[in-house]
Amino acid sequence: MSSVGNAVTRRGRKGVDGWRWAGRIFLLIMVLYTALPMAWMLLTSIKSGFAATQFPPQWWPSEPTLASYQKLLDPQNSVGQDFLRFFWNSFFVSTVTTALAVAVAVPAAYAFSRFRFPGRQFLFFSVLLRNMFPAVIFLVPLFILMRWLGLVNTHGSLILTYLTFGLPLAIWLLKGFYDNIPVQLEQAARIDGATRFQAFLLIVMPLSVPGIIATAIYSFIGAWNEYIYAATFLTKNDQLTLPVGIQRFFSENTTDFPGLMAASFLMSVPVVVLFLVLQKYFVRALTEGAVKH
Amino acid sequence: MAQVVLKDLVKTYGSVYAAKDVSLTVNDGEFVALVGPSGCGKTTTLNLVAGLIPITSGDIVIGDRVVNDLDPKDRDIAMVFQNYALYPQKTVFQNLAFPLQMRKLPKAEIEAKVREAARVLDITHLLERRPRELSGGQQQRVALGRALVRDPAVFLMDEPLSNLDAKLRVQMRSEIKRFHQDLKATIIYVTHDQLEAVTMADKMAVMNGGLLQQYDSPANVFANPVNMFVASFIGSPAMSLVPLEVGSVDGHTVLKSAEGWTLPLSERNARKVATASSRKVVLGARHSTINLHKTQVDGTVPAKVYTVEPTGDITFVQAFLAGSIVNISLPPTVHVAPDEMVWLEFDQDRIHLFDGETEMALRAD
Ligand SMILES: Nc1ncnc2c1ncn2[C@@H]1O[C@H](COP(=O)(O)OP(=O)(O)OP(=O)(O)O)[C@@H](O)[C@H]1O
Ligand SMILES: [Mg+2]
Repeated sequence: MSSVGNAVTRRGRKGVDGWRWAGRIFLLIMVLYTALPMAWMLLTSIKSGFAATQFPPQWWPSEPTLASYQKLLDPQNSVGQDFLRFFWNSFFVSTVTTALAVAVAVPAAYAFSRFRFPGRQFLFFSVLLRNMFPAVIFLVPLFILMRWLGLVNTHGSLILTYLTFGLPLAIWLLKGFYDNIPVQLEQAARIDGATRFQAFLLIVMPLSVPGIIATAIYSFIGAWNEYIYAATFLTKNDQLTLPVGIQRFFSENTTDFPGLMAASFLMSVPVVVLFLVLQKYFVRALTEGAVKH
Repeated sequence: MAQVVLKDLVKTYGSVYAAKDVSLTVNDGEFVALVGPSGCGKTTTLNLVAGLIPITSGDIVIGDRVVNDLDPKDRDIAMVFQNYALYPQKTVFQNLAFPLQMRKLPKAEIEAKVREAARVLDITHLLERRPRELSGGQQQRVALGRALVRDPAVFLMDEPLSNLDAKLRVQMRSEIKRFHQDLKATIIYVTHDQLEAVTMADKMAVMNGGLLQQYDSPANVFANPVNMFVASFIGSPAMSLVPLEVGSVDGHTVLKSAEGWTLPLSERNARKVATASSRKVVLGARHSTINLHKTQVDGTVPAKVYTVEPTGDITFVQAFLAGSIVNISLPPTVHVAPDEMVWLEFDQDRIHLFDGETEMALRAD
């Protein structure tokens, strides 16, 4: 390292440092760009309703209060009841979507990665076709389809719809993972006495856990944040998911900004927790195959 | 232990023949090396025997069972893969135990067998590590150990030493040979390193382009190559091959070069070239059977030195003879220089003659 450093001319080194600083400043701007709105959300959520709309704004709330949170999380009053129900609806829809996506994507991705069958290329790319168009294009056709299936105003309609987004991506992601697992591992297992299925279950599956987790996070977040379809397919108040629920909830009367911000913050909690807990796997998943082991 | 018989084995990928009509018998307890250049179908043949890929046609017999349609797990084989294929998430102990667990052995027996295999291979101190924490040589031993814990009818090994450095390779070579002698195991061993094949195997099967070229003991393959491919593939440096023409001088059969010189043939060699399908004949000679003279002597042919490579105890010389490169070995006491004219003398009893059209070796009878 040091000998290489010595060989670099002064100007060369300055150039390197210049780039490094430019990079740091760029990253700093990006961090502020993403973090500041969140900080503002948090600050607003602990203000009183009056303080939140004051001009010039209070940068730091003079009388911080957790009243908004208490209201949202209190099952006794109607606001809290609605919020908790939306929360549960979102959680249910996202979890079922994720479980189904993983359950279907794992065998599908494995088959695409390992087997050669007629129509394989065609099927693989047709899986992607769905993701080549903006989501709204499918809004009306899917609505008609859901009505025909009798699923309008059920969570089933959302789960099915989210799967049409999530599955292709999940299959693509996971196929990359299986491609990176040497086929010789399965062959060795089969020679060691495993059936083809056992080889998959005992050897390949454990190795693809990081990939499965990454895929699950993607699919969960996608379903958790989705708005347009949820707003179109569901009309009954007790079925709404969080993004739609929060929006309707607070625009009915004058907007309660601290309440809105507190709800938004609570909505981001599961995703953040999921990320922190599984972060280790997620990072590994994204860098998998970057270096030769 | 058991014998393995391949009958007219064919494997095609689309229109490509990866193995074409391969027939050979590996006797019980025999060590057979499968050699050939890259892409000749060695791995394919081994995978066919293992049952990892379906055969296109032909039969595979292990012991007294036709195993064509059996799963790999039911063929009673063990395999060492070229890249070891150790299970990354399992410790060395778990890697070795896996084949036994799959066969539902009692726990105590598994423990005993794994410890015994580890002792033999000297990897007892590594049992709790994971594969990525091992050196290449250690991983190789574990791969060997995983095959060794069961005693299968046949061992299949696909270039198990190719990832090791030269010194470790020599050491592991003798360990595998030792292992074969101790267990009287039937082993099919793929390698592209002919030195490995010659030093370890009872028989070698030379393949090229999916076809089995020759199947015989290493000594016989070396002494009597059946065609020009085997002649040039086996032996290092390679056998020199010089295309010439058959002619006759005063009623004696000779080989003529385009440059004008002739090489008289012995009576036995004359009978050989008489069976050639045309006048084109290829002269083959190994480096150690060619004598080099600095002046013209009777029965010698002229050549021009191209390169000189002293290696210490032997000096290798390459010379141009009738437009072809010829390898010659000399004692270090003889000195020649590039571009020097020299005269080569061939040992009539040890030269090889090949049909210039069919590339097959010519026989005297
Ligand atoms: N899955 C496959 N699909 C198509 N062709 C294949 C496949 N596997 C092997 N082949 C072809 O079959 C031929 C034999 O391959 P094989 O792997 O048996 O060679 P090899 O002798 O083991 O070579 P090497 O010494 O490089 O390992 C090659 O021409 C190869 O391109
Ligand atoms: Mg190979």
